[in-house]
Amino acid sequence: MRLFIDFLLGSAKQMLKGNRSYWGWVAFLLACIAVGLVGYASQAGSGLIVTSMRDQVSWAFYIGNFTFLVGVAAAAVVLVIPAYIYQWKPIKEIVIIGELLAVSAITMCLLLVMTDVGRPERAWHMAPWPIGRWNAPSSLLAWDALVLNLYFLLNFAIVTHLLFRAFTKRDYSHRFATPLILFSIPAAVSIHTVTAFLYNGLSARPYWNSAILAPRFLASAFCSGPAIILVVLQVLRRYANLEIKNEAIWKIAELMAYAMFLNLFLFGAEIFREYYSATEHLVFTQYVFTGVHGHDTLVPYAWASLFCSVAAFIIFLVPKTRRNFVTLNFGAFLIYCGVYIEKGIALVIPGFTPSTLGEIYEYFPSRTEVMVTIGVYGAGFLMFTLMLKVAIPIINGSFHLDSRRAAEAGIVQDAATSH
Amino acid sequence: MTESAKPAPRWGMVVDLDRCTGCQACTTACQIENNVAPSSAETADKGRSIRWMDQLPYMEGEYPNVKMRLLPRPCMHCDHPPCIKVCPVGATTKGADGIVAQIYSRCIGCRYCTTACPYTVRYFNWYEPTWPDDLAQTLNPDVFVRPRGIVEKCTLCHHRLQNAKDKAAAERRDLAPGEYSPACADICPTQAIAFGDLDDPHGEVFSQSRSPRVFRLLEDLGTEPKVFYLREGE
Repeated sequence: MRLFIDFLLGSAKQMLKGNRSYWGWVAFLLACIAVGLVGYASQAGSGLIVTSMRDQVSWAFYIGNFTFLVGVAAAAVVLVIPAYIYQWKPIKEIVIIGELLAVSAITMCLLLVMTDVGRPERAWHMAPWPIGRWNAPSSLLAWDALVLNLYFLLNFAIVTHLLFRAFTKRDYSHRFATPLILFSIPAAVSIHTVTAFLYNGLSARPYWNSAILAPRFLASAFCSGPAIILVVLQVLRRYANLEIKNEAIWKIAELMAYAMFLNLFLFGAEIFREYYSATEHLVFTQYVFTGVHGHDTLVPYAWASLFCSVAAFIIFLVPKTRRNFVTLNFGAFLIYCGVYIEKGIALVIPGFTPSTLGEIYEYFPSRTEVMVTIGVYGAGFLMFTLMLKVAIPIINGSFHLDSRRAAEAGIVQDAATSH
Repeated sequence: MTESAKPAPRWGMVVDLDRCTGCQACTTACQIENNVAPSSAETADKGRSIRWMDQLPYMEGEYPNVKMRLLPRPCMHCDHPPCIKVCPVGATTKGADGIVAQIYSRCIGCRYCTTACPYTVRYFNWYEPTWPDDLAQTLNPDVFVRPRGIVEKCTLCHHRLQNAKDKAAAERRDLAPGEYSPACADICPTQAIAFGDLDDPHGEVFSQSRSPRVFRLLEDLGTEPKVFYLREGE
């Protein structure tokens, strides 16, 4: 226990140490949070009237960003699977970064849900009996709240354990960590599946009521999550003395090419069904890609998203462009944009437009919604940055328990004796 | 209560579009009866007005043979309501009398029910309800005023049912047909809205809901709405 307090104090010190660019980045994130707080203050003061949502479009920008970020969180498994199951060495050291990203992304998800609900102070009503009245199994939102919180705790526990053990220079406990790590794989799939089912199960919303919605969610998540990690890894390699092999980055890029193929294939399957059968439900897809009765707010975004995804797929498919870091980063950026639109507004808004009774209300996020979302991203990335600030020195061995303290505590700092 | 042996009534509504003139008296009566705050021009413009009983505009036919119509649209009080199963906190319930109710103090305002409802009859309070000048003193004491941040909906004037039941119980008798009806049905100047027990073979709504002119909104979704419409005769 004393050691763990040492770990926490040492971590806090690590967070406060940094060069100019570190503090610049932290200041930028704090500024984002300030913007978010200003936005949220106006929302808390006047109610959700300051958003552009209405009863016909009852979920929008917040929930779109939430959906995108659940995908990012789920994508940590892309790294976990080869690292632990196949013992693929070059990725293994960087899995921690993926899991930290998952923890941060889930935090952003929960913040976005809390900003979206009208009565955040009543969130405890969702807790199981006898505290609240958790309406499971029937409500998918109740399930989603459960799995998201579980996934958060799970990844947080794994990462804390791995880092604390590395801090005390011991190997991680296989009896404790391995089952949790293995469990985190289906858990990651489940958070995104449940989030897809959240939309999927509504008979009133034909745009979402498609059996391949959950597979599409997973496919796009396996593109967007790693896209962020690819960039983060290069930043860390450059500025944080973390040794990351090129082949690890290329391997992730290759996995993303497969994921993007699957994503585009499933998208094509959906488009075929919609346009060939051309039932009255086609109107939602038309609203996204061509506009309906002159209402075409989303059209440029939808085409930009498709263009980004296809271009990124080609970049990641061709080995030459995949291994060139300029094109690789450009591809990661394209994927990020493509999936952000596809799993954000282009998923949520057409579900409501036109409404079930045929009313068309064109939605575009209000300034407050954008400000609050910027604040949430700021908070998430600040959390990610601070955790990385602790994790990186532990991974590369420059931040650890000093040997005198270790001897006092009777810890044998030898990997071989811990299991 | 003496109604133990009898099955609970299935309250429902039949709207005869042949009689409806689109005067919107039902909308107004509902607002007053249920303490729905009047919306300002600004909120109405942004589409955030709350109207439990709304008039749905729709067009029939192609130009030049076009007819504009208004369809009175309350909550359908579905037999299989999609809103109930999605609520994460169990804030929406259906009673034995088939009325779909909202528990305002439990609702967290997530709007999942609004998303699941095919009829857009679940209204979120986007802002704090206010009444201009002295109008706040005209509020109906039988009906809760809903705060900002939660979802509200038509209750079929449930407080009227409660009052009628209390009165009947005090007089030690059963609830008589016609003793309970919502404000919209009462006010209608052309008697276009019939209300009663859909299972009572002697009642008006029993025969009307079996008329060949009958249709319901989005029936193919399997929601089994208890609001029926009679299309206009040729």
